Amino acid sequence: MEAKPAQLEQAGHARSANLWLEALYNLRHSPSALLGMTIIGGLVIIAIAAPLFATHDPIKTMIGVPGETGRLPSKPPCIPWLGCEDPLHILGLDLNARDLYSRVIYGTRTSLSVGVITISLSIVVGTALGITAGYAGGRVDNVIMRLMDVVLAFPALLLAISIVTILGPGLTNALLGITITFIPQYARLSRASVLSIKEQEFVLAERAIGASPWRIVLAHILPNAITPIIVQGTLGVGTAILDAAALSFLGLGAQPPTPEWGQILSESRNYLFTSPHLVFFPGIAIMITVLGFNLLGDGMRDALDPRLNRN
Amino acid sequence: MLKFVLRRLTFSIPVIFGIMIVTFSLARAIPGDPCLAVLGERATPEICEAFARRNGLDQPVPVQLLIYMRNFVQGDLGDSLRFHRPVMELLTERLPTTVELGCFALLFAISVGVPIGVLSAYRHKSALDVGTMIGANIGVSMPVFWLGLMLAYLFAVLLKDTPLALPPSGRLTPGANPQPFFELWGWVLEGQEPAGILVFFSRINTLNALLTLNSELLVDALRHLILPAVAVGTIPLAIIARMSRSSVLEVLSQDYVRTARAKGLRERNVVGVHALRNALLPVITVIGLNFGLVISGAVLTETIFSLTGVGRTLVDSITSRDYTLVQGFTVVIAAGFVLINMVVDIMYGYLDPRIRFN
Repeated sequence: MEAKPAQLEQAGHARSANLWLEALYNLRHSPSALLGMTIIGGLVIIAIAAPLFATHDPIKTMIGVPGETGRLPSKPPCIPWLGCEDPLHILGLDLNARDLYSRVIYGTRTSLSVGVITISLSIVVGTALGITAGYAGGRVDNVIMRLMDVVLAFPALLLAISIVTILGPGLTNALLGITITFIPQYARLSRASVLSIKEQEFVLAERAIGASPWRIVLAHILPNAITPIIVQGTLGVGTAILDAAALSFLGLGAQPPTPEWGQILSESRNYLFTSPHLVFFPGIAIMITVLGFNLLGDGMRDALDPRLNRN
Repeated sequence: MLKFVLRRLTFSIPVIFGIMIVTFSLARAIPGDPCLAVLGERATPEICEAFARRNGLDQPVPVQLLIYMRNFVQGDLGDSLRFHRPVMELLTERLPTTVELGCFALLFAISVGVPIGVLSAYRHKSALDVGTMIGANIGVSMPVFWLGLMLAYLFAVLLKDTPLALPPSGRLTPGANPQPFFELWGWVLEGQEPAGILVFFSRINTLNALLTLNSELLVDALRHLILPAVAVGTIPLAIIARMSRSSVLEVLSQDYVRTARAKGLRERNVVGVHALRNALLPVITVIGLNFGLVISGAVLTETIFSLTGVGRTLVDSITSRDYTLVQGFTVVIAAGFVLINMVVDIMYGYLDPRIRFN
């Protein structure tokens, strides 16, 4: 077997460039990916320009503020375009007389960043672990993967709750807790990619001419493993946002007065029967955000999976 | 087959040991002194020393772990620091709530999800199919706790005084005190301590109602179960529907389905016998994997619907540093998770011989 790594690599690059173009084309023609991208794009704009969209300070109590005479802390939703005469607070006020609409708007920042940061962190750690396990094999592989099995054996939310309890409640610790629960997925995915590619002839050829393990991993293994990880990651952002909201709901995540959707829900859940709007809107916000990432993830899976294209 | 089952069993044992070590370490790592947490103001250094001795906390940590493992194998999970009762007893008392909730949630998810998925695959690209997929996408995106709260509002407030009204909290109408089946059957005499397993099953209200032929109790228990079970079951339902749809779609394009049609088989037989059998294999795995979602959902739903199940007790105990209870409950839940996945794998191996021999 004669190894011609340069040619092989070139051919590989040409193929992968085509695949990416094809994927992009598929993505632009997938309604679910487009809808998902639109939702996420809109949310990113809202998050960045939150001060422009918000009508009030999200953590300011409206008691004693000029022009805010005698408003009850929790009145039913009062939406101006449905004939309500109160244009000041589009979604009404919360229990502490803060503007709910502005709180929900600012909550976008927290949820989006929590989702993206958790998944990025767990992809980095998980992929590193998975590639190490798959490449090294033997005992290293065994130790890493059994550890991942143990992490997977715990229901995700339960493990996150225990970790946050140990580290102490707060958004950063919630983020870390959720990150740990996500690591095994990416470790497994990347390990599987390594195993499927490690014994292929072009990798053996590289190794035969003395390429370092780093080069093999970066030039061959990572590009081949990245597609399923991107798809899984996009779908994971949605789940991470849900988990973060759940932790905040249990009082373990974002702490008051931070405007975070799960936290707003947790504050107002005891007032469900008298002012359901306090519970309704933050929940809808969570749902739309998660839906955006799920739709994009689905669309990406269809676009990036070459096996589906052939059919 | 036996070899396959044994191999699968030996895979699970190290994982269960790993779970025990992780839980043990996690429980120790919870910040704060358990003595202070349990005894509060009364905790003087002398009392705390006695407390540590009584609970084995004065031993070195590895010794504590070994003692813990030995006791675990014997079914002794220690005494809860907060309730001053054996953790095992609390488990038999509270696990039934969660098991019942989980079973009904999965039952709801499977009985609605599979038919919807199969139908929408069969009528690919029809209005039903598009609707199902939109619904499934929304379903997996909903926060469980929010759905629970909204259902409670809808059925307990908006539909109050209509026949559709449902109770938003508890397992039974307050004051209901159902007779356990073992008492009715005379298995356990009055004043006698019933076996834990009997208590466990008698506390699954719907099962107890069936065994004692108490229709009133059954209706009451079911009415209380509907809302939490729907809340917990919605995400698994959406996942199961999607999975069955894509799986049936794949199978329907296979050659043997075409052959079955070419042979002139009735459509019902083609879909029901040839396609479904193979299509539902991956669905079984998904159902097994959803157990974790059900547990996570139960933790949140039990909090919302005031159900004293394992999830809610666990969250409460974490905050009050009752680490014997946290340890015991977590190990049992995680071990249950491992066992269920094992059963799913074995079922899968039974249904698909290729897996057994790989």
